Amino acid sequence: MAEHVILFTGPMGAGKTTAIRSLSEIEVVSTEANNSERHIVDKATTTVALDYGEILIDGEEKVRLYGIPGQKRFDFMWAILKKRAKGMILLVNSDAPDPIGQMLEFIDDFRELYDRGGVVVGVSRADVIAGPTLGDFSEALERTNPDLVIPVFTVDPRDRDQMEDVLLVLIANIEMRAMFGMTTAAAL
Amino acid sequence: MTVNANHVAGEPASVSMGFPVTVGWTHAAIAVFSVLRLNTPVNLTMHVEMHGPLLIDFRHHAFSWSTPLDQFPVDAVHTGLETEPTSADAPPFFELPGQDLDGLLWEMGINSFGGAAAYWLPKGERYKLTRWPNVTRHSHNLRQMKMLAVLGNTYASTSELATLAGVEEVEAQSLINALSLMRILSRSAEAPATAAAPETAAAKRKSLFARLRKRLGR
Repeated sequence: MAEHVILFTGPMGAGKTTAIRSLSEIEVVSTEANNSERHIVDKATTTVALDYGEILIDGEEKVRLYGIPGQKRFDFMWAILKKRAKGMILLVNSDAPDPIGQMLEFIDDFRELYDRGGVVVGVSRADVIAGPTLGDFSEALERTNPDLVIPVFTVDPRDRDQMEDVLLVLIANIEMRAMFGMTTAAAL
Repeated sequence: MTVNANHVAGEPASVSMGFPVTVGWTHAAIAVFSVLRLNTPVNLTMHVEMHGPLLIDFRHHAFSWSTPLDQFPVDAVHTGLETEPTSADAPPFFELPGQDLDGLLWEMGINSFGGAAAYWLPKGERYKLTRWPNVTRHSHNLRQMKMLAVLGNTYASTSELATLAGVEEVEAQSLINALSLMRILSRSAEAPATAAAPETAAAKRKSLFARLRKRLGR
């Protein structure tokens, strides 16, 4: 069975688990534990190993959706999944102390995924506070990675339609880049 | 001075006189493009029959309108348009945050010029995105999404875009018009055409995008 691995990355509290729950057609497998960093993000639990969901297409192939923990101390998980992934959806919560800095850090950590396939950035909780605008996120990316045009959208991870849009943009982008010979990935 | 469809340069006006009654969004798009090109603080009011005044505060990249964008009136009747110079320290035109102007520019650009090139786009150029539009907030279809994926990765003329994305040229032109009105498109007369890599056997089967789209019922 053909498989396509998509990673969901981003800092704790950005909505990775919720986004996978919105998309997955199976009950999402989550490995959550009590959040010991409530001084950073005020949520009761957080992902400590990974979240897993999937979309089955015509009984022949699977889109596997992996959410990996946001904290750096779990980055051994990043390395394992990064090798298998074709693309990445990076979620950043707009009300975090430095969401743009976090976005750039994750882009840097996962740059090989852009080169191999593609990356889309989703800015969550953009309607909660008057944080940076979408233009601020895009400008930061243009400044630090002038050769990349990474899609940046506002998203509500609870909204299935929006998450489908984000996933479809990622797939369209990966396929287009492969068609132009711009990636090292095999065709999807 | 009046800012109207036939007058696209000059200083911002304070009063509109004799703006012709027009149907559709072409004249409005030209007026908005002209104001954006002035790059000075201006407020703009459009009078749209049956839909109340549409207020645009360019300084805050926001608009206010009683008609929701998901009910965008493609064949709106415009009965007047006024611009008013403002200053960097003046109060906003309406209570902020209003709505993001990009959403209005997207609809206006897609629904103007009847599929012909916007008047400000010279022939013989290729286009590439400088940044993606916020598709989760704009009404869009999956053909537009595919075209955006082309323009996000390479320069393409309108006809090349249509071919690469498998859409009608009219649809490609409407998207180019919208993106240029939103000012998120770079243009080049020198950029070479991008050749698609030879299709592999795997690529020749229906794309994952198409399979997933079907699976998601979209």
